[in-house]
Amino acid sequence: MPPQTVLIGLDGATFTILTPLMEQGVMPFLRQFQQQGVRAVVRSVTPPLTPPAWASVMTGKLPGQHGVFDFFQREGSESHHLRFVTAEDVGTETLWTLASRHGRRVVVLNFPLTFPPPPVNGCLVPGGWVPWRQLRLGCYPPGLFDRLRALPGFNARELVLDMALEARALEGCAPEEYLAWIDLHIRREQRWGEVLQALVRTEAPDLVAVLFDGLDKIQHLCWRFLDPALASTLATPWEQAVAARCRDYFRQLDALLATCSALADPAATVFLVSDHGFGPARTVWYLNAWLEQHGYLAWAPTADQPITTDPQLGFRAIARHLSYLDWHRTVAYAPTPTGHGLYLVRRRPDGGVALTEDEYQRQRQALAAALRAARHPATGQPLVTAVATREEVFAGPYQDRAPDLVLSLAPGTLISILRGPAAVVERAEVVGTHHPEGVFLAAGPGLRAGVQGPSFSLVDVAPLVLHSLDLPVPEDMAGRVPPGLYRAEFLRHRPVRRGPASALRPAPSTAGARLFDAEAEATMLARLRALGYIE
Amino acid sequence: MNDAGYLRLLAEVLETLQDLAADWEYSRPLTPATTFFGDLGFESLDLVVLGAALQRRYGRLPFAEFLATLGQQGRQDITVGDLVAFIRQHVAQGA
Repeated sequence: MPPQTVLIGLDGATFTILTPLMEQGVMPFLRQFQQQGVRAVVRSVTPPLTPPAWASVMTGKLPGQHGVFDFFQREGSESHHLRFVTAEDVGTETLWTLASRHGRRVVVLNFPLTFPPPPVNGCLVPGGWVPWRQLRLGCYPPGLFDRLRALPGFNARELVLDMALEARALEGCAPEEYLAWIDLHIRREQRWGEVLQALVRTEAPDLVAVLFDGLDKIQHLCWRFLDPALASTLATPWEQAVAARCRDYFRQLDALLATCSALADPAATVFLVSDHGFGPARTVWYLNAWLEQHGYLAWAPTADQPITTDPQLGFRAIARHLSYLDWHRTVAYAPTPTGHGLYLVRRRPDGGVALTEDEYQRQRQALAAALRAARHPATGQPLVTAVATREEVFAGPYQDRAPDLVLSLAPGTLISILRGPAAVVERAEVVGTHHPEGVFLAAGPGLRAGVQGPSFSLVDVAPLVLHSLDLPVPEDMAGRVPPGLYRAEFLRHRPVRRGPASALRPAPSTAGARLFDAEAEATMLARLRALGYIE
Repeated sequence: MNDAGYLRLLAEVLETLQDLAADWEYSRPLTPATTFFGDLGFESLDLVVLGAALQRRYGRLPFAEFLATLGQQGRQDITVGDLVAFIRQHVAQGA
C-alpha cells in the first residue's frame, strides 16, 4: 500500500528563493505541483527557529505548550546551566506518536527532536544533531540501522552529522571549499531519498514524513548567491560558480521531491512545508554588550579570555559563555544567540535571591521598554519589531522553561552573545537569516488547485496532516484546519473531527540530567556560527 | 551495587559500545581501559549523545558534572572504566 499522506519538510524554504527558481525552470516539479495544488505563506512561531518551529509542526502546539524554545534549554527555571534539547523535551504527543496510537504506520526521517527515538508504529531515523557514530542508537525499531546499512550506497557519515566533514564550515568555509560544502548537501539529500524509497517499499506506511535540511544550511552561508535581488553583485567567476552550484542543489532537490511524490498513492495528500522563511542580514547586534552598556550585565574578570572554537574535543578548558558573567552584578543576559530570549537573574548561582518578585517585575518592564527603544546607531531604525514577556508569547504548561523576554528582531538583524567591539556592527557581506514567513504547498483530494490560499500558522500543519489521515484532531491542539485550502464540498463530505486532548509528558527539565557539557556547547556554538545562525 | 552488579553494568556498556564500534570499523578489543577520544575517536558531542541514550536506560545521570570534574582534574580523556564507574556510583546512589 503506498502512503496516504506525505509530509515533506523543507527546512528554511522561502518563496523569495523558490518562486524565481520555479520560473527559471530550475524546479519544474515544484512548479507543476504548485499549479496542481494550493500554495500559502505559513507563519512561523516565536522565535522562528528550527527546534521550536519543527516541534510546533509535529505537535500542532505553540512553544509554551510543547516545551521547546531553542537549541538549548536551561536545566531548571532558576538554573544558569544550559543543556542541549532532545526528544525528551517535547512535552506532548507528536504526529508520529498520535498516528501510531491510532494504528497508522509511519516512516519518519531526519526530523530534529527525534533522539532518543520515541517508539512508533513503523520506522524512525533521527536528524538534527545526532552524530553518525551514534546513528544506530537513534534508529527505531532496533535492527533498523542494520537494514539501512545493507542498502546500496548507504553512508552514515553523509546521512547525518559528521564533524570531520563539517569541519570546513566550522573553520569558516574558505572560498575554495564552498562548492564541496554544497555538494555535501546535495549528496546528503540523495542519501535520505534512498532511505525513504527503501522504507516505503518495505514498510507500507500510511504516513511518510521526511525533512530535507540542506536548504537552511546553504541559505545561511550562500544567501548572497541565491537572492535574485543580489544577483548583480556576483561579479567574479568564483561567485558565479557558487551561484550555479546553489541552483544545482535546488535542481536536484526538485528531482527528489518528484521522487517522493511519486511514491505516494495518486489519491494521497502531499504536503510541503518549511519551519520558517529566510532573508538577508547584515546587522549584528551584540546583545550582551548592549546589556552591559545599559547597566544590566557585567562580565567576570576572566571575560578577556579568548573563546576556543577548536573542534578537537578533549578536556581542554573551553570556557562557557555563561561562565564569563559576573552573577552578582548581572541583572539580565542573553544565554544563546539563537533563541532571541533574555533571562533575568532571580537567583545567583550560590542560591541567593537576586531579585524579589516586585523587583523582577519592575526590572523586566524597564528592560522591555529599553529594548523597544534600541536603535541602530547609523540608521536610527529600531532593532526589534516587538518585545514580549513569556506570559504573552509562551503561555502554557512549559512557560516556566521559557525566557523572561523574547525579541522579534527587525529584518536584517542577527544576535551575537559575545563581547563585541560595539553593541551594533555591520557585517562586510550579507548572510542569510531566519524570517517568520515560510512556505506551504499541498496537493491531494479536496484541496483547491492552482490557488494562493490565505496565510496561516505553522501549528495548523499538524491538524491538516491528521485530517488527511482521517484521524481526529486533539481538542487541545492550538492549530486547526485553516480555511481556504479545501473545497467546501469536500469538507462537508469529510468534516474535521475533534478528539480527546493529546497526552502531556512529564517535564524532564529537573528530572533529566544535563546532556550538554561545556565543550559540546562550544562545539555547537561554533557550528551554529559557521552555519550563519549566530555571530 | 555489588561486584556482580558492577560486572553486569560493565558488560552492558561494553555491549552497547561494541555494537556501535562495529559501525565505525573499530576492530581492536574494547576493554575498561579503552579511551573515548584517543582510541575511539569520539568528539564531545558523541559523548553527549551517548549519555542521552544511557540515561534512557539508567535514569538521570549528572553527566555534565562528571565531565566537568574530569576536566578540573586535568584529564585529557575518559576511559570506558571511568564511565562505568560513574554510572555504577550514580545507580548505586539512586538504588
